[in-house]
Formats: sequence, C-alpha cells, structure tokens
Amino acid sequence: MNKPQYHYYQSDTDKLLSEINNDALIADLKKMLLIRNFETRAESAYQQGKIGGFYHAYTGQEAIQTAAMRVMGDQNWWTTTYRCHALALLLGVTPNEAMAELYGKVTGNAKGRGGSMHFYHEKMLGGFGIVGGHIPVAAGAAFALNYLGQENLASICFLGDGAVAQGAFHETLNLASLWDLPCIFVVENNHWGMGTAVSRAISLEPIAESMAPAYKMKSYTLDGMDYFNCYAGFKEIYEEVKKTKRPVIVEVITERFKGHSVSDPGLYRSKEDLKKEMERDPIFLLKNTLILNNCLTEDKFKEYDKEQREIVIQSMKFAEESPFPDPATLEEGVLEE
Amino acid sequence: MTKKQEIEIREALRQAIDEEMTHDDKVLVMGEEVAEYNGAYKVTKGLLDKWGPKRIIDTPISENGFTGLAIGAAMCGLRPIVEFMSFNFSFVAADQLISTACKQHYMSGGRFNVPIVFRGPNGAAAQVSCQHSHCVESIYGTFPGWYIIAPSNAYDAKGLLKSAIRANCPVLFLENELDYGKKMEIPTHDYTIPIGKAKVVREGKHITLVSYSRMLKNCLEAADEMAKRGIEVEVIDLRTIKPLDIGTVTESVKRTHFCVLVEEGHLFAGICAELGFQVMEHCLDYLDAPIVRVCQRETPMPYSKPMEYATLPNKERIIEALENIRKG
Repeated sequence: MNKPQYHYYQSDTDKLLSEINNDALIADLKKMLLIRNFETRAESAYQQGKIGGFYHAYTGQEAIQTAAMRVMGDQNWWTTTYRCHALALLLGVTPNEAMAELYGKVTGNAKGRGGSMHFYHEKMLGGFGIVGGHIPVAAGAAFALNYLGQENLASICFLGDGAVAQGAFHETLNLASLWDLPCIFVVENNHWGMGTAVSRAISLEPIAESMAPAYKMKSYTLDGMDYFNCYAGFKEIYEEVKKTKRPVIVEVITERFKGHSVSDPGLYRSKEDLKKEMERDPIFLLKNTLILNNCLTEDKFKEYDKEQREIVIQSMKFAEESPFPDPATLEEGVLEE
Repeated sequence: MTKKQEIEIREALRQAIDEEMTHDDKVLVMGEEVAEYNGAYKVTKGLLDKWGPKRIIDTPISENGFTGLAIGAAMCGLRPIVEFMSFNFSFVAADQLISTACKQHYMSGGRFNVPIVFRGPNGAAAQVSCQHSHCVESIYGTFPGWYIIAPSNAYDAKGLLKSAIRANCPVLFLENELDYGKKMEIPTHDYTIPIGKAKVVREGKHITLVSYSRMLKNCLEAADEMAKRGIEVEVIDLRTIKPLDIGTVTESVKRTHFCVLVEEGHLFAGICAELGFQVMEHCLDYLDAPIVRVCQRETPMPYSKPMEYATLPNKERIIEALENIRKG
C-alpha cells in the first residue's frame, strides 16, 4: 500500500515553546490527560454494564481538538461526529455532566436523552450520529455568523475520513465555497472508516490537498500526533479564515488507538502496526518535549495524570449516585412550544 | 367592518412570508429558484426585489446540503423558511429532516431549538408520474418532534403559515401545486390561525367525512351530491395533521355514527389508518358501521390521465363510499 504524499504544514517547536505561555501548555497537557482518563475509565464502566449504546473513544487523537480549542477559542461554533466526548470537555462541559450522560442520568449533559454520541454545549451543535450528516449543519452555523454580521468568528467542523465519501460532505463544500462561509472543515484521518482502510474507501489521497482545489479552497495537512504542529497550523488557518472569510479544508493525520467503537476488537490491523503508531502517542510526545525543555518533570506529569484520573473517578461516583430521569418526564421536550 | 381581498393561495402564502419577514429580521427564505426566478410556482414572486439576496436566497440543486445548512442556521439564531420545489425532493434531504431537524431539541436535552419551516407542494399534480407525486405526510408523520400542516384554502394557508414561521420547532408545511391558483376572499389585516385545530367546513347529521388539503374539494363536491340524495354529510378539514385534532372529529362522529376518511396518499399505514384507529378508540360504541377509507390505491402514480384519476380518491369513489357505509 503506497502512502499518500502529504505536504505537512511546517512548524518550529522550539519557536512555539518560546511563544506559548507555559501555563497554557500545562493546562492543555492536563486536558489531554483528562480526555485520555475519561475515555479509559468510561470504557471500563461500559464493560461493567454501566454505560450502554455505542461508545467511540477519542483516544490517540487528543492533540487535535485540544490545540484547535486553544488557538480558536470557545466563542466559535463547534460541531463534531459521534466521537464527541473530547470536544465537549474542551468547551467546558464538566466531567460530571459528561459521565452522567453516559450513565443515562438526569444530571447528564443532555438529561440522559442523547448518550455517548450526542454531547452539547452552548457553542457545540453536537455530537452527531450519522456519518457526514453534521457537515451541512456546521456550514449553517457559519451562514448564521455571516447573516448576523458576527465578525472574526468561524464554524469548525470535525469529521472522519469515512465521511469524505458522503454526498453531504461535497454538497457542503460546494455551498460553503459558493457563499463564502467562514467554515473550517477538519478531516481527522485516522486511517479507518470503522474497519475499512481509507485507501479502500476514498479515491483521492491526500484528502484535503486533492479535494480543496476542486472547491476553490485552501488546504492544510497537519500531524495530529504533534500538539505543536496542530497549534501552529490551526492558528494560521483561523487567521486565514477570519481574514479571507473563505472556507478551508484541513486534513489531520492521526491514529485512533482503540477500535472504531468499544465493541470493535480491531482485528483488521496488526498489533505490531498499532504498537508502532502508539510510539507517537500525542500525550507522550507533548510530555517529552516539555520535559526536554525543562517545562515539566516526570514526577509532575505523574501528579497531573493522577489528578485527572481522580477527577474522572469522582465523575463516575457522581454519575453512579445521580438519579435516572423520571419516566414520567419521557414525553417532555419533544417540541419546543 | 373587516376589509377583504380576493387572492390566490400562492398570494396568501407570499403575504404570510412577507409579513413575517417584516416582523422579524431573522426570517429568511432559501430554496431552488426562489429568488431570481421568482419561485417555481411564483409563491416568492417579488420578494427578492423587496428584500434582497441576503434574505431571499437561491440555492443550488442540493437539498441535503441546503436543508442541513438551514437547520444549522436555525440552531444558531435564524428562522429559515426552506422551500422544497416539491416535497418529492425532500427525500434527498431525508437524513437532515429525520435525523436532525425533528430530533435536535429532544436529543440535546432542550439545549437547542430548530425554528424552521419546510414548505412546498406535496402530492400529485397533473400527470407528473411516479417520482413526482408522493404524499409525504404519513412518512414524516411517524416521527415525533415537528408539526405537519396541510391547508386547503387561502385563508388557512396564510394564517397557518404565519403561525408556522413563529413556531419554535420545525414545521412541515404541505401545499399543493394544483391549488396555488385557487382564489378566496380573506381579510386584509394581520391574523394567525392556531396550529392543531381542525374545522367543520360543512355541517351535516348523517355521515362525518374527514380530509385535508386538495382532497377537501372532492369531499365537498361529494357532499353536495349526497345532499341532493337526501344525505347530509358533515365535512371536516383537519388543516393540521400533527398534532391531530381528534376531538373535533370524534365530536362529530358521536353525532353522525358514520365515518368516512379521505386521503390523497396511500392506504397502507397512511394518515387515515392513524385517524381511523383513533376514531375507533374514542367512538367504538357510537359507530353504526366500520369506518371506511378512500385513499390512493396501492400503485406508484401512473402517468396516463384516466389511470391517475382512478388511483386517486376522486369524487365518484368518495360518493360510493358515502353510499355504501349506510347500507351496512
């Protein structure tokens, strides 16, 4: 299998280390640890039968949305797929309400009505369960920004490589380009659409570099395992979109360390390949860079990891102790009157 | 005294849109040929000139794309009116309608509203054949989370569309191509009609006849004919399909003891199947005969004129049903 020839966005980690506030870097490391611990613990709760339905972990992809949120901020509109826990946590959804939603409790993020695939925030339109279905919705948020004259903001839409085969993706790119919508389409290419390799599903690779010109858009390719590359790339992309008011396509090369969902043992890829990919764990890459530059110690890292683990364990306690929704409220909120 | 104007349904719809655009600058119109072409059926005629391209927006032929986009815009503070050139084309956007529009409020625990109107012609027109003649109300009606409105005249069309635009949830507003030119005298002043209220449009004591949209005309003609034969038929226009005003129907059936239901769409799992079941639940002891349905036969819509006429509920089929029900 020939690997596509990517032209990665070039970033200088040393330069970025001198530019980015150390507190911000540590805060983002902690957020990535929160996401990792959240997914790991929740998956074990799933195995114990505390959580039902589908469960798609963001494990391995943490650097992407963490860096994107850092440089773009929570005033923009955000939309993502069913792999949505990380984005909600990054926007400030508390681990308690996130975990309670997974447990189906009334204290949950969507009062126990959405579940794992449907997390929300004031600025997060979802958590969408149909591959590609959310892409035009995200463009609608960009349309609203233009209509309402809300300058210097964008709508950021995450999608997987699998969604690139959907008509909704291409219809949306056409509309976004046609109407100059400030929309950033971020294709998180983790190489697998469930168990089908991207090369068996998508006729053109690289995705963004090949497809963006067809829609008169600019494209970027980022290394999703490298927090600093994502940081620098998203920073430039955000400025570009605010300045030009044009949509862009970003392809972020990443790796999910888990199966497509909790029920997928991942038999389609070899353990050796996965092990090799996991050597580029985004959390460890960030940690190592910070330690090398005297911004972090091994002990401090362990302390942060433990602290985030405790927060997650606490959220499981909160979820466990929270009540289920009262079935008497079942039919409430079907229609906003 | 109320000032009156005699206008076509398309003009009544246009007035509703225009008035609501005046009331609320978040209201916009989006769809194929709505702006420069002035609307495939001229419902939006002149609106581009008045409101400009920011609020009257031509889209590419891209229903899934612009439907999803409009839903997103509605979630972010706008109140789009999406015109489907025909509801047949809404099937291309079914994922957006079914998986997003009518679910988002509930699924988000009430965090997001989707105040949006999807409107356009529904059902058969004049020999447009198999793919352009669908009635969508029973397909979409099975899903909770939206209103479905299907007016039969200009007065209701205007008042109900204004209510639909003001509603904070998605609304499917079903019109009819063959009825756009139907005239009626309606008030010139601003009025709305509440969603979810059926109307007795002709009183009668012998049989209750229920329908909506374009089929109402056939029902009224059949009732005229039956009157000549000494049978007084009470005709009810549902006006709103969801929520269904079953009370108005059952009140009538309890008086007449006979019930005939007419629907342009198919028999199987249609609106009349639901309506008939609810009548049975509420009126079983009052019924002197089984409820009778006159629906589109179980065929795709044929092109040929007499074939198209035969598969639809026509005046003759309705009269036959009204005659037979009392014979037992």
